[in-house]
Amino acid sequence: MKGILSSFVDGKGFDISLVALPLTFLLTLSGLPLIYNVLMSFQQVDLFSLGTFWRPFVGLKNYAELFAQPETWPIFANTAVFVVSSIAGQFLIGFGLALFFWTNFPGASWLRGLFLVSWVMPGLVVGAIWSWILSGDFGVLNFLLRESGLTDGNVFWRSDPNYSLWGVILANIWFGTSFNMILLSVGLSAIPTDLYEAAELDGANAWQRFRTITLPMMRSSIGAILALGLIFTLQQFDLFAAITNGGPNNSSNVAQYWAWELSFRQYDFAKGATVSVIMIVFVVLASIVYVRSTRHEVRR
Amino acid sequence: MRHTFREKLMLAVALVFTAIYLFPLYWMFVTALKSGSAIFASPPALWPADPQWQIYAEVWQNRNMGRYIWNSLVIAFGAVAVISVLGTGCAYVLARYRNGWVDVGLFLILMLQVLPASLMITPIFVGFSQIGLLQYPRLAVILAIAAKSMPFFVVLVRTAFMSVPQELEEAGLVDGDSRVGAFFRIALPLARNGIVVSAILIFMQAFGEFVYSRSLIQRAELQPASIGLNSFMGPNTNEWNGIMAYATIYVTPILVAFVLLQRSIISGLTSGALK
Repeated sequence: MKGILSSFVDGKGFDISLVALPLTFLLTLSGLPLIYNVLMSFQQVDLFSLGTFWRPFVGLKNYAELFAQPETWPIFANTAVFVVSSIAGQFLIGFGLALFFWTNFPGASWLRGLFLVSWVMPGLVVGAIWSWILSGDFGVLNFLLRESGLTDGNVFWRSDPNYSLWGVILANIWFGTSFNMILLSVGLSAIPTDLYEAAELDGANAWQRFRTITLPMMRSSIGAILALGLIFTLQQFDLFAAITNGGPNNSSNVAQYWAWELSFRQYDFAKGATVSVIMIVFVVLASIVYVRSTRHEVRR
Repeated sequence: MRHTFREKLMLAVALVFTAIYLFPLYWMFVTALKSGSAIFASPPALWPADPQWQIYAEVWQNRNMGRYIWNSLVIAFGAVAVISVLGTGCAYVLARYRNGWVDVGLFLILMLQVLPASLMITPIFVGFSQIGLLQYPRLAVILAIAAKSMPFFVVLVRTAFMSVPQELEEAGLVDGDSRVGAFFRIALPLARNGIVVSAILIFMQAFGEFVYSRSLIQRAELQPASIGLNSFMGPNTNEWNGIMAYATIYVTPILVAFVLLQRSIISGLTSGALK
């Protein structure tokens, strides 16, 4: 007993207990649900069998039924459009802003930091604000589009199936741009300035310096940021709940919202778990890319 | 002289960019102050002609915001407490050792960090209902948020501990301090700033959390402010001034905290995400 105690106070026992407790907590509350999720996707789960662990196994029936549903492929296509457009918008605008704020002028870093308020706001608040901005008849976005002559009439961002997904994408780009910008700024400031001085002496113009110095030096940062963008975009749920609820008629539904809808609106927990499992595979692939591009730091 | 002119020009352009980017936030504040008919005016006014300051008290009263905000605070403080008690020690050990086990632990933690809440809620809901945890819905949400956000906290705090020189602790051990004492008296105080900033970030996330609360808390009197806002926004609502007033009350404390702590929040955030 005394040996255990002194090992706790003075040896590795203290360190091991410091790390074992949280890891146990995480494995119980994240690891177990993950396994349980996979298990449920192979089971028949209804409101009667919800309370028991021993539910009838149905093999791949949930997966087969899922892909027989007419809305499945359009929703996965929406997910792809949402992910690609959101990341492209966030990254390109974020990169542009980061490059602009990289030039030194008074107040640059403080103003740049101010952008991040979009990212610390609750998702539901962002969704509420954009719901109002995107509103069909009285939204300020439609007013600006009409006044500038880009559109003739009002675009019904939230209720027109052709535009509903794009309304959410717009809000999500606004939400995530600042985070991309801040991380890209960190990457930019790590590039040694003498590289640019040398290139300027050699007569390279701005575009050549960007292409031959900035982009190659930023490669691992860009990889990590794009992977993080994918991870965050696949986590986006609040904006859908606040702006369109996935509607009308699933036109703005994406897999991560649909999985919740199947479980908590239609009480089809097996289907919800099935969609979750499919999406988690994608998320894990993305995070492997992320870990790989930051690994040199992890292993430092 | 030319140089300062160029700097002034850049600053002006930067201010324009910032104004455009923050316009949605401005629109929230302005809409909240407009009257019920002024919000539907065309063209929309950029400034409320007749600011309705009483709307904040009305919305606070009518939408029961006191109760909602209280629940958000309970959930956020609970999650921060669980995460900082469990996560700090974990981050410390992961910062102090370099071996295969630490790599495995870090990899595991990074993997658990990325699982989307809306995908994990199905097994969490079913599992929690089976073990009876749903009878304490706010506790259930606190535990779910803790499991979701702890990896992020560990990654951030680990970098804070890595900047504390190990020699200081060794010196403490030589002076006769115990291992536990060295952790509490030397490492912890020196990493305090990083820990506090990470805890604030976690608090902000938990204060606005939606998916878990929406799915695990059925009783209205236990729901947080994010759900209150969501139920305020019915499908055919036209009370946009009220909704924006609600959003203003909800988000302003977060914005104030962020602007005050901007520098340390950003440096904490960026050191964890890329390094």
